[in-house]
Amino acid sequence: MKFLDEFFNYIHALDFDKLARLFWYFLIFEFALHFVFDLLIVSLWRFVKRFRQDRIDYARQALFRSRPLVSIIVPGKNEGENIYQLVTSLREQSYTNFELIVIDDGSDDDTPTICRTLKKNGLIAMYLRCDVRGGKASAANLGLRYARGEYIVHLDADCSYDHDAIENILVPFFYDSDIGAVGGNVIVRNYQASVCTTLQAIEYYNTISIGRIARSELGIYRVISGAFGAFRRSALVAVGGWDIGPGLDGDVTVKIRKLGYKISFEPSAVCQTSAPKTFKALIKQRLRWDKSLVRFRMRKHRDVFYPNETFRWSNFISFVENVMYGFVFNIKWFVYLGDMAFNFTSTLPFIILMNFLMYVFVNYFKFLFFSLLRDRKNAPVYYFLPYIILIVPYFNIFLRTVRLIAHFQEIVFKASYNDPWNPSKSSRYAREMKL
Amino acid sequence: METITNIQQQKEAHNDRIVFGHQVYGLVGAQMAFRVELLVGFDALIIDASDPDFTRLAIRKIRGHYNPELYLKPIFLINHRQVRDTLIDSLHDGILFSYDHLAEVSKKVDEMFMLSTQLDQHLPTNYEAQVFKKVLNFMFTRGRKVFTPLLDVNSVIGYSYPELSVNFERQEEAQVLDILDWAEKEGLIWPDFHERVYLCNNCSGGYLSYREVCPHCHSSNLASQDLVHHFPCAFIGPISEFKNPVDSTLSCPKCNKQLRHIGVDYDKPSVINKCNNCSSSFQDMFVKAKCMSCEQDTDVQYLVSRQINTYRFTKKGRTAAVNGFFSSSADTEDIFGTVPLETMRVMLHYAMERLKRIDGLRTNVSVLYIENMYELVHRMGTRSKKPLLTELVNIIHETISPQDFVSVETGMVFYMTLNDMSLSQAEKIVQGLDLKLEQALNKNFNGFKASIRTNTVALEPGIPVADQLQKLSQALYADR
Repeated sequence: MKFLDEFFNYIHALDFDKLARLFWYFLIFEFALHFVFDLLIVSLWRFVKRFRQDRIDYARQALFRSRPLVSIIVPGKNEGENIYQLVTSLREQSYTNFELIVIDDGSDDDTPTICRTLKKNGLIAMYLRCDVRGGKASAANLGLRYARGEYIVHLDADCSYDHDAIENILVPFFYDSDIGAVGGNVIVRNYQASVCTTLQAIEYYNTISIGRIARSELGIYRVISGAFGAFRRSALVAVGGWDIGPGLDGDVTVKIRKLGYKISFEPSAVCQTSAPKTFKALIKQRLRWDKSLVRFRMRKHRDVFYPNETFRWSNFISFVENVMYGFVFNIKWFVYLGDMAFNFTSTLPFIILMNFLMYVFVNYFKFLFFSLLRDRKNAPVYYFLPYIILIVPYFNIFLRTVRLIAHFQEIVFKASYNDPWNPSKSSRYAREMKL
Repeated sequence: METITNIQQQKEAHNDRIVFGHQVYGLVGAQMAFRVELLVGFDALIIDASDPDFTRLAIRKIRGHYNPELYLKPIFLINHRQVRDTLIDSLHDGILFSYDHLAEVSKKVDEMFMLSTQLDQHLPTNYEAQVFKKVLNFMFTRGRKVFTPLLDVNSVIGYSYPELSVNFERQEEAQVLDILDWAEKEGLIWPDFHERVYLCNNCSGGYLSYREVCPHCHSSNLASQDLVHHFPCAFIGPISEFKNPVDSTLSCPKCNKQLRHIGVDYDKPSVINKCNNCSSSFQDMFVKAKCMSCEQDTDVQYLVSRQINTYRFTKKGRTAAVNGFFSSSADTEDIFGTVPLETMRVMLHYAMERLKRIDGLRTNVSVLYIENMYELVHRMGTRSKKPLLTELVNIIHETISPQDFVSVETGMVFYMTLNDMSLSQAEKIVQGLDLKLEQALNKNFNGFKASIRTNTVALEPGIPVADQLQKLSQALYADR
C-alpha cells in the first residue's frame, strides 16, 4: 500500500515536461504512431469501405463473369497429414475454378501415398514430387512452373480456409488492375492450446491484421504471408518466382512492388493457422522472421533507398517504416530502458508500473475497439480479455528481445544463411551471391 | 503277333485303318479329323503328326469331344517331329516311330480300355461337374494324378491344363480356372500355388500389353525429362529449359548462370513427363493394360487376378472317376420367370395342405431333363447359358398355365407344377412340351439332337414333398 501511495503521489506530481521525459517512448512510438495512427487509418478504412462497396461488388461480379483459372500451389515437406484437411476446406470454396497443385519437397513419410490417393480421387489436380529436398522456394517455383492459372494462390498445408477465402482474395485483382498481389488475413486456429497461442492470437488480431489493413490503405504493405497469398501470375513470372528463404514471402512481395504493382491486404480472405504452442518454438519462428528484415530490407533490397531509375516513394516509405518500426524503434526501446535505468534509478519501479498500466490500457482499448471493426472472429472477445495484461510483457520484453537477438545474429553472423529451414546446398549460394 | 508285312498289307488294303490282332487302329486323315464321330468304332487312333497344326486340330477335336467313346480313345502319333506343343505333348498316348511299334503299344491300348470299363457311367447334372467328370475319366484311364499348369503360348490365359483346356475354345479358356475353382470347392482337388496371372476383365485374356500412359488422355505418346533445380536462385524446371541452343551447356533461365557441377550448384530432384498428345505435364503416369485379344484398355487395378495352381486329387477326387460323385453345389440360376427350387418346395407344401382340405383339387409336378444340355453349353460357351435357359423357360411358360411355376436346377433340369388337371392331362402337356423343346433346340443348333427325359407325378397329400420330388427324379434317372 505504501508503494502504491508513493506511486500515485509520484505520478500526480509529474508535469507535462517530466511526463514526456519519462514516457517518451510510449508517447511517441506506442501511443502516437502505433495507437493513434493505426486507429485513425483503420477508422478511415471502415468509413471509406462503405463507399467502395459498389465497386467491390462489381469486382466480385467481374470475377465470377470471367471465372479465371486459379492455381493453388501448396509446397511442403511431410505435410501429408495436413493435406487432407486442406483439401476438405478447399472443396467447400465458393470459388471453384481452381486447380490444386501439391509440391512434395522430398517428404520421407507417408505424404506421397496420401497425395497420390487424393490425386487418384480427383481431389488434387497435380502432385509434383522432388525426391530430394530443395527448399520451399524451389518447391513453390516448381508449382509455379506447371501452374496453368491466371492467378496463383500460395497456401500452407497446415492451414484451413473460410469457404469464401479464395473468392475474397481474388476480388481485389478485379477492383484494381494495378494490384499484383493480395495478402490474406491469417488468424490463429489453436488460440486455446496454450498461453503462448492465446497471446499470438491477440497479436495477430491487434497488430498483424490491423497493421496490415493500415499499411495496405497507405500503399506500403510489404509482406504477403506464405500461409495465404494470391499473385497475378504474370507478376510472379516476371520476378522469377520465389528466391531462397527464409523470409521468401516478404522478398517476393518486395520484388513485385519493385515492378510497380500495388500490393493489397484483404481482411475478409480468412485463413486459420496453427501457431507455435510453446515459447521455445515461437522463439525459433520469430528469430527466422525477424532476421529477414535485415537480410532482405537492409541488405538484398537496399536499392529501394537509392534514388535510381526504379525508385518509388511508396517502396521507400514502406521500407523506411519497416526498418524504423522493426529495427530502429526496437533498439530505441532498449535505449529507453537504459535511459530510465541509469537516469531514474530511484524511481524506476514507478516508471515501469506506469508504463505497464499505460500499455495495458492502450492494449485493452485497442483490442475492444478493433474487435468492433472486425467482421470475422473465430473466438469470443471475452476469452482474450484476461490475457491482455500478459500482452504487455509479451510484446515489450519477449518479442522485442527476440527481435534484437535476431537482428544481431543476422547483422553480425548472417545467421539466416545457416538456418536449417532452407537446405544448406542452396543457402551457401545465397550467402555467396548476397541474395 | 502280326508281322510288319501283314500290317503293311492291311494298311494298303484299308486306307483308313490298321488291324493289329484284335485291335483296329484308325488312321486319322484330314477328312476324319473334321468328322471325328466316324472314329468311334476304332480301338485306338494313329495321327500322322508330320504337320503339327493338323495334329493339334485333330487332338483338339477328339479329346474335346463330349462322347467318352471318343475322348477316351488312345491316340498315337507317327512321324512326330519334335515341335514343342503343350496340347499335343500332353494329350497323346505314345509316339510310334514306325508301325512296327504297334506291338509295344497294343498292351497299353488294352489297359486303357480295361480301365475305361471301370468308369462310373452316370452323367452329373451340372455343367462344371460334367466337364470335370470328363477330365477325371481321361486322367483315370491314363493313370494321371496331378493337374499341372503348363506355360502355353496358345492359351489365352498363358497357362493351360491340357486335359481340361482342350474342352474349351481359346476365347473360353479362362473357364478352366472356374472349373478348377469349382472342383476345389467340391473337395475333389487340392491346390498348390504355382503362379499368379492377371487377366483382362472383359474377355479374360492373359495377353496384355502394359503401357505407361498420360493420366489425362491415356495416350502412350509420352516424353520424360529430368527436372533441374538450380540452387542459387531456386529455379526448378525441365532440363530442356536449361539447355543452351548453341552448345551442350546448361544455363539457368532465371538467373542466366551456367550450371557447372551436379550436386554442387544444381541437382536433378525428379523427372517430369509430358504427353505429346494433350501437352499435359505430370510425374505419375498411369499404367494401363491393353488386352491383345479384345483390345480393351484397362487400368491395372481392374485386371482380374487369378491364381494358377498345381492340383493334386483328394481322396474323394481319386475315387470319383470310378465311384462317381455328388455335387454339393447346385448352380441354380437366376432365370427370369423361375422360382428357386427351395421356394418351389415350400409352395408345393402349401399346395399339398390345400389338397388335404379341399376335395377335387389336383396338383401335378413334372420334371424335364435335357440330358445333353452340356453339349450345347460347351458349343456356345458358358456366357450363353443364361440366355439359352431363359429362352427355354419362355417356351415352357408358353405351354403351361399362368398359375403354374417353373424352377431350374443345375442348368439342365426343369421342375414345373401343373395345377387343376388330371395326371394324364399333365403328362400330355409335358409330352407336347418335350416335343416343342426338342424341335426348338434341334432347329436352332445345327447338328444337335436334343435328348430330353420327362416324368410327371400327381402330388399326393400325406407324403412329404421332398420324398415326392426325390421319387420324381429317381424315376427320371432309373434307366440310365
